[in-house]
Amino acid sequence: MANTACFIIVGRNDIPIYEAEVGSAAKREDAAQLHQFILHAALDVVQDLAWTTSAMFLKSVDRFNDLVVSVYVTAGHTRLMLLHDSRNEDGIKSFFQEVHELYIKILLNPLYLPGSRITSSHFDTKVRALARKYL
Amino acid sequence: MVEPVNSSLGKMLFEEVSPVVMVLCTPLVEETFLKNGLSLVETLKPFCNFSNIDVPVRTSGDQLYRLKKFTLRLFYASDIRQPNVEVAKQRLEHVITQAGEKDFQDLKSDPPQITDILSNSGSEIAPTWFQYYNKELIRTLSFSDHEAFDHPVACLLVVSSKDEEPISKFVALFNTGRLPSLLNDGAMDPKILKHYLLVHDNQDATTERTSKVLSEMRSTFGNNECNLLCTNSSKEGDVEHQANPWASFKSSVSADKLGCALTGDDIVEIKDLMQEFASRHIIPYMEQKVRELNQQISATRKGLRNQIKNLWWRKGKDDVPDSTKGSMYTFSSTESQIRILGDYAFMLHDYELALSSYRLISTDYKLDKAWKHYAGVQEMMGLAYFISDQSKKEAEYCMENAFSTYMKLGKSGFQNATRCGLWWAEMLKARDQYKEAASVYFRICGEEPLHAAVMLEQASYCFVLTKPPMLHKYGFHLVLSGDHYKNCDQVNHAIRTYRSAISVYQSTTWSLIKDHVYFHIGQWYAIVGMHDVAVRNMLKVLDCGYQSKATQEIFLRDFFNIVKKTGMKHEVVGLQLPVINMSSLQVIYEDHRTYASQTSALVDESIWQSLEDDIIPSLNSGKSNWLELQSKLLPKKYRESNVCVAGESVKVDLEFRNPLLISTSITSVSLICELTANTDDLKLDKEPSSLSLGPESSSDHNQGTASGFYSFTLSEVDFTLGGGEKKLVRLEVTPSEEGILKIVGVRWELSDSIVGVHYFQSVLVKAKTNKGRRKNKLTPTDALKFLVIKSLPRLEGSIDHLPEKLYAGDLRYLVLELTNKSESPIKNLKMKISHPRFVNLGNQEEELPTEFPDCLMKGHEQKIVQHETNRTSSVFAFPKGVSLQGDRSLRWPLWLRAAIPGTMSLYFTIYYEMENVSSIMKYRTLRMQYNLKVLPSLETSFEITPSPSRLQEFSYCFQIQQLSTVGCRWGISLLQPVDTILPSKSLLAGQALSCFFMIKDCKKSGTEEEKTMSLPASQTDVKLFTQDDNEKLFDIVNSPLASFHESERSCQGASDQVNPNTVDFILISRLANSSNPSAVPDSSIFLSHHSCHNSIRSSSPLSWTLDGPQTIYHNFSSSLCEIKLKMIIRNTSDGLASVSIITIDSLPDAAGPTPPTVNQSGWRYVPSVTEEMKLTSDVMGSRLGKPPSSMESSPPFIWSGLSSTKVQIQPLSTTDFPLQISVFSPGIYNLASYKLNWELSEHEKASSSGTCQGYPYYITVLQSE
Repeated sequence: MANTACFIIVGRNDIPIYEAEVGSAAKREDAAQLHQFILHAALDVVQDLAWTTSAMFLKSVDRFNDLVVSVYVTAGHTRLMLLHDSRNEDGIKSFFQEVHELYIKILLNPLYLPGSRITSSHFDTKVRALARKYL
Repeated sequence: MVEPVNSSLGKMLFEEVSPVVMVLCTPLVEETFLKNGLSLVETLKPFCNFSNIDVPVRTSGDQLYRLKKFTLRLFYASDIRQPNVEVAKQRLEHVITQAGEKDFQDLKSDPPQITDILSNSGSEIAPTWFQYYNKELIRTLSFSDHEAFDHPVACLLVVSSKDEEPISKFVALFNTGRLPSLLNDGAMDPKILKHYLLVHDNQDATTERTSKVLSEMRSTFGNNECNLLCTNSSKEGDVEHQANPWASFKSSVSADKLGCALTGDDIVEIKDLMQEFASRHIIPYMEQKVRELNQQISATRKGLRNQIKNLWWRKGKDDVPDSTKGSMYTFSSTESQIRILGDYAFMLHDYELALSSYRLISTDYKLDKAWKHYAGVQEMMGLAYFISDQSKKEAEYCMENAFSTYMKLGKSGFQNATRCGLWWAEMLKARDQYKEAASVYFRICGEEPLHAAVMLEQASYCFVLTKPPMLHKYGFHLVLSGDHYKNCDQVNHAIRTYRSAISVYQSTTWSLIKDHVYFHIGQWYAIVGMHDVAVRNMLKVLDCGYQSKATQEIFLRDFFNIVKKTGMKHEVVGLQLPVINMSSLQVIYEDHRTYASQTSALVDESIWQSLEDDIIPSLNSGKSNWLELQSKLLPKKYRESNVCVAGESVKVDLEFRNPLLISTSITSVSLICELTANTDDLKLDKEPSSLSLGPESSSDHNQGTASGFYSFTLSEVDFTLGGGEKKLVRLEVTPSEEGILKIVGVRWELSDSIVGVHYFQSVLVKAKTNKGRRKNKLTPTDALKFLVIKSLPRLEGSIDHLPEKLYAGDLRYLVLELTNKSESPIKNLKMKISHPRFVNLGNQEEELPTEFPDCLMKGHEQKIVQHETNRTSSVFAFPKGVSLQGDRSLRWPLWLRAAIPGTMSLYFTIYYEMENVSSIMKYRTLRMQYNLKVLPSLETSFEITPSPSRLQEFSYCFQIQQLSTVGCRWGISLLQPVDTILPSKSLLAGQALSCFFMIKDCKKSGTEEEKTMSLPASQTDVKLFTQDDNEKLFDIVNSPLASFHESERSCQGASDQVNPNTVDFILISRLANSSNPSAVPDSSIFLSHHSCHNSIRSSSPLSWTLDGPQTIYHNFSSSLCEIKLKMIIRNTSDGLASVSIITIDSLPDAAGPTPPTVNQSGWRYVPSVTEEMKLTSDVMGSRLGKPPSSMESSPPFIWSGLSSTKVQIQPLSTTDFPLQISVFSPGIYNLASYKLNWELSEHEKASSSGTCQGYPYYITVLQSE
């Protein structure tokens, strides 16, 4: 499992709808916002890249020092962004694919308004379990 | 895209990569020039840029070309050395600090909008001092030994005419001891072009001596190499220059002083001198040198043979150690010469030649592993590619190569890498590759924070300039840069960068980012002393519920510290702490509708309206209702506003929520109101800005504009909100004068230091009390506008000790208390109750004479008051005489009976009118609401079956204390003593009990009209159960039982009221003392259960009885015995019945089921006549018992007289019919061998018919003695 990993789902309009620190390293106060900053800055790159390929998994799109941003863009242009320091691309791909499935299940919930924050604790547990499994 | 030559990099290269002239001068020369406030170099500098020098140049090729632009760089010999790193650093820091101070004033303004940033063109975005900074940064690297373009091309020796022995001075100046190290340690050729200049000061030197010296010079150094410069022609030294050429070079001194002693002629002379120097001496010299070197190099290095030889030779040098450090290449080495050739060619704008030389040498350096030299050459190659507008790829590759090579050198190469990076970035920018440029800037950040900060900031501006702009990156790099600035105490710059970053992040929902930016910029503003701006920024982070508790505490602590430092109470519109839930806003006010309690105010208006429909007067018939009436009475202008009464408070419920985990104390929460006099000038209220910050201004609102003092009172609430807690707060405003009251907003104090204000405008207000009816007209702001009218009496009412929980059937005595606090009386009280089944009003005002429940017992004489008209409409009008005023209270008895189980809301509305008040409001209503929870208790069911053998007697089963029939018609008696049925005297939970009673129609047969004959009490009431003997029965005729019964009747029996043969029962029971805690807390006294419209369950319309003797003595020896009987038949139906009586003497032989058995004769079974007849509901059962096994063939009696008779019986009437039997022997006879065929013809319905079997009737005939 990666030491540092921050996973964020960004909806349209660049609004984060789900955030999770999934790294095994001890959580640091200032790290959380740095992670947000890096991921937020990477949105620009994603915007450019997303239309150049038909693949959903964009691999690593951006980096800051030794932190790498990998992105997976769904068909609805929801971006699953992972900030990580490990280089396990296959694992990240599987992670994204499974989270995408979970996300689709969330979308199927008639009570979930697309674009709103995902508050399901079930989703959270599942994502964290996937992170442990793949990252 | 601009031409490479005209790009900023191109210009930079012209300036930086240009021939260096070393200046050597005597102190007297300096003195001469310092009269102008300038040194020699500074005086000459402005005239070293030639924009149109137009000199023909021929380098390697045969082609001549003309140099247009040319620049010389002048340096004192002492400056020609590598600058001290520390000094350079300090200078750079100074540059930044100065720039920061300059920007300081801008910091107060609002952050720029992102659209503004985007609309700016590239050069406007970045601060101008960046260019300067970059130049300074590059300059720190000048005169390195691995590059040749900083090596002096020429030397300018200057001596003043005042000097002693000028010729020897000239010689002494070029003394090796004073020359820069570059020349001394062999990095460059000490044989350089020398030029001799004699300075003549017109102010204090003589022309004769000067001309003498000049001629001497010319003879010594050669005619061409010597020049004379005459300066300071102005004797007074007060020459003003229109366009001061020095101003742009030296800004520190006041510009008008510069060059004050130089006349225009002097300037022209300097200009000419420099131009001549450049065009006549330097350029030709360089040209010649290039040619020379080129030739030399062609001979030694070009051509295949030389290449191979070179390679071979190089290989042998592989093991030369430490090639990077020492200057292994002296000026005379081939490599250095090639480098010089390249640099000279570059400076003479012959990029082809420069490139080819660089290319040639770079492989050599690479093979030698002279990485620094290699990188330097690569760098120059890149620049040459760029400026000659050749292959972009090559240029970039070279720069990249140079950069990474420099980086490989470690710390020592970093400075060079920085310069390379800057050039590279400029190159990319010139080609609009901003994104790449940004990444280059990012790469040259390095470890030193200040340097990194500047580079990051430059990177951020590159991101804005990319197409499309990468704003996220822009913001991020600005923030990074700001953090670095802060680390080296450049707070001004830190604020500047964050301020720009806010434009990116202000609308973001990335909460951590937003908090970080606003919190830090707030802190920094506080550091520089702009506390108000600091507070404004800090406000944005207060709503940080998602942060950890520690962070929240830090935020709050810092925020309050800063607020304290500002030294005043800030008023903040839209303070985020606590959060106000606007959808919870409820306005509760009372116009003509007043409420007894909070809960009643929250009841849906439509319930009240439907309840009040018939007690509120409507002046206009037809469609118009009382609401329209009300509005007609109001001035048209104010019709939209709500009405409230002076002296009565308007309440606003508002929910506050603490978003934080820390508990927060909030004080002085109050409304902001405006009360304007009731005049025509309805002033337009000023629109409060969305986020205004300043000294208290909301208190201005809280003033009546007409009077100047507070004409209303506000309630203030203090409370503490725990972490994440929500609280509904009730705020009140009580106007004391007439006028127009407007509730503008709410204000509160947070920790005694900051005042939060929230304006209600443009928010949808749920004004509860007028929702719906004025929807079409009312805007939300109007809902908070009230027309205050003169104070009116207000009735207050309450019902004491109304229980919340009680059992079904529970009967309580309660008192309704009404008070009018004001002096003016009210009259015409009317009351309506939503559930008359539950509540009954007493009859008079006075207290009950005896204690409840004894008052309900019989024996207390009470007048029977009829309320027929009132009952039907469930409106109770208080007696005319009742009027209330001046704190007098009216106590009115009230009976409550829980009719059905369930949860109930009882609504009371009391209408009253004001006396002596000339107001637009004529009447008001008081609304009260109480909730009841009724638990199920006894369940009763009654079943009445006709007694088969008796007329109009029925038995039924029930369940406790007193059972009464209602009305006078039915008598009731017990069939069995209660003690035998229920020895324990009480019913336990879940227990069922059946009792049998006999009821009897006491009405005289055949009479339909009600008789007011009074039955003895014992006949209508049955006491089931006594505790002591003298306990009286309950009086069911009087109120309240009677009236409750009335309403029960109407509730229960709406469907069949036609059947007159019904009986109503009231069962009164008492609750045994139970220890069950979940039960109703206060013990209820007694319960009454009403069951109405019980009718006899029977299918036959007839009832009859045989009337005759029971026992007859007869002497059978003399004759047979004839017995006369009478049959009384009653038609219980509504139709005319025709009945035929068929007597059966003999039985058919066939033992079919249909015929009744008449064979029960003889002495077989004599039932005890005295035995109580116990009949179940199935009366026929006993009769259809099995026939006796032994049958006799002959009947023991025969029916004599008619065998078949037909009679007509009127509805509900009785007929007698005589019968006769003949008995032949003594015995007991059952006279059931008859049947009645009846046919019923009703008015409209089809006639029905049927057959009734006879009942057993036993007659005993005995032999007489």
